[in-house]
Amino acid sequence: MSKIIGDVILDLQNISLRFGGVKALTDISFNVREHEVRAIIGPNGAGKSSMLNVINGVYHPQDGKIFFRGEERRAMEPHRAAAQGIARTFQNIALFKGMSVLDNIMTGRNLQIKSNLLMQAIWWGPARNEELKHRARVEEIIDFLEIQHIRKTPVGRLPYGLQKRVDLGRALAMEPKILLLDEPMAGMNVEEKQDMCRFILDVNDQFGTTIVLIEHDMGVVMDISDRVVVLDYGKKIGDGIPDEVRSSPEVIKAYLGAGH
Amino acid sequence: MAFFLETLIGGLMAGMLYALVALGFVLIFKASGVFNFAQGAMVLFAALAMARFSAWFNAALGGDSLVIANILAFIAAGGVMFVVAWLIERLALRNLVNQEGATLLMATLGITYVLEGIGQTLFGSEIYSIDVGMPKEPVIMFESLFEGGILINKEDFIAALIAAALVAALSLFFQKTSIGRALRAVADDHQAALSIGIPLNRIWVIVWCVAGIVALVAGIIWGSKLGVQFSLATVALRALPVVILGGLTSVPGAIIGGLIIGVGEKLSEVFLGPYVGGGIEIWFAYMLALVFLLFRPQGLFGEKIINRV
Repeated sequence: MSKIIGDVILDLQNISLRFGGVKALTDISFNVREHEVRAIIGPNGAGKSSMLNVINGVYHPQDGKIFFRGEERRAMEPHRAAAQGIARTFQNIALFKGMSVLDNIMTGRNLQIKSNLLMQAIWWGPARNEELKHRARVEEIIDFLEIQHIRKTPVGRLPYGLQKRVDLGRALAMEPKILLLDEPMAGMNVEEKQDMCRFILDVNDQFGTTIVLIEHDMGVVMDISDRVVVLDYGKKIGDGIPDEVRSSPEVIKAYLGAGH
Repeated sequence: MAFFLETLIGGLMAGMLYALVALGFVLIFKASGVFNFAQGAMVLFAALAMARFSAWFNAALGGDSLVIANILAFIAAGGVMFVVAWLIERLALRNLVNQEGATLLMATLGITYVLEGIGQTLFGSEIYSIDVGMPKEPVIMFESLFEGGILINKEDFIAALIAAALVAALSLFFQKTSIGRALRAVADDHQAALSIGIPLNRIWVIVWCVAGIVALVAGIIWGSKLGVQFSLATVALRALPVVILGGLTSVPGAIIGGLIIGVGEKLSEVFLGPYVGGGIEIWFAYMLALVFLLFRPQGLFGEKIINRV
């Protein structure tokens, strides 16, 4: 059964981003449809991470428009983007190292916890029920990611591949509309990559989460994405389904250099 | 035996007061990864505000209701500390997101001088007293158990109780609330905290505000003991060994570190002092801190920092 790809949920129009004289992104337009897996690829320094940071609200582009769920988004702070349903993971894992896996993933629920501080502090009444409800949801995510055995371990002690998984778990706990993954497979061995691919596809499939991912590894990207954007030196040089992109001469040139 | 116990209890109570100041360091370090050099200046600033407000309100009320004047002054001084926290976030910290710890430390060093300067410009530089009705006379307890009983300083005893209550409340706040979790998250990683929707700026205002209130309580207690004057800012230096001992990231550590140092100072002064000519109390804490830095730099309860290479 093929999944149903919905309407455009995120639309980027003519985005340009400069840092002083350096042009990180030049006039980039593309869109993301609901429920799809959308990849952004490109060689080193192509502007992939900058693109993600623009969507996430870390960088504010000098030119261009961003429409999220039909509404134009002005310069926005990352925590607002999070409140609107945009979650992300990090290329060089940014977990809360002193906390346990469970606590890390619980922080993803922070936005949804509403009860008042005093009640939370004395662990009483509605606050307690609320905490338990969130805990239950977090436990589901832990089961889903198959990390039950390390629930109480401080994340600083975990191997790299598992840390990446916890990072994904924290983002999932936010129940995002769009999940941004910054090189989810970087630095992993083949087995870990396969696991991660499976989790990404399962998230997309079971929760219907729209996924935007950046990846180096062309093979992986082509296997799991619905559509791919290719960037090179801050410019868009390709956009389409994986097969189209793979056979585009410009993309081949960017990846392999001229003359091949 | 009675004398030993008396020294011990005196040390414990003095330790609780050190812990109170140390707590301010720990709070800010836990929540923002900044070693706040300005904690001492905050204690002085808060105490100055409290002393002046108390005097002004007392005069305005006709001088016969010191309790009401003190309550009003406490609220007003709390408000001032909130404004201070808000200004620090707006003018200094906001521009330093994602910077190195050393940069932030230097910023707090700057804040120290600004606070000391503004405090004395606004409130004057004379020596003021804070009178919150702390009982000054000592009491004698356990007369039935020991000959002559044990002499306890009532003021220190009440101060220690207040400090203990504050510590208990803050521990609950950190461990059990979603804001507490957010605070710990911010301390670990700014960027990640932002990405899951924690508003960094508001969290910083909250934590500096809480540290400001802790500084206010410490300022009142120390101020009513020693008088409010410039040297009050140096009680923070007395608390430095406490944080080194207890660990910068641990609220219980600040308490236990405080108690150990308080007791250690008093006992060593009384029992070792005569052999080396006295004055141990002054350097004992720093010696102990030095030993800890050599053998256990993360302190008793601090998180051990392991860097992957």
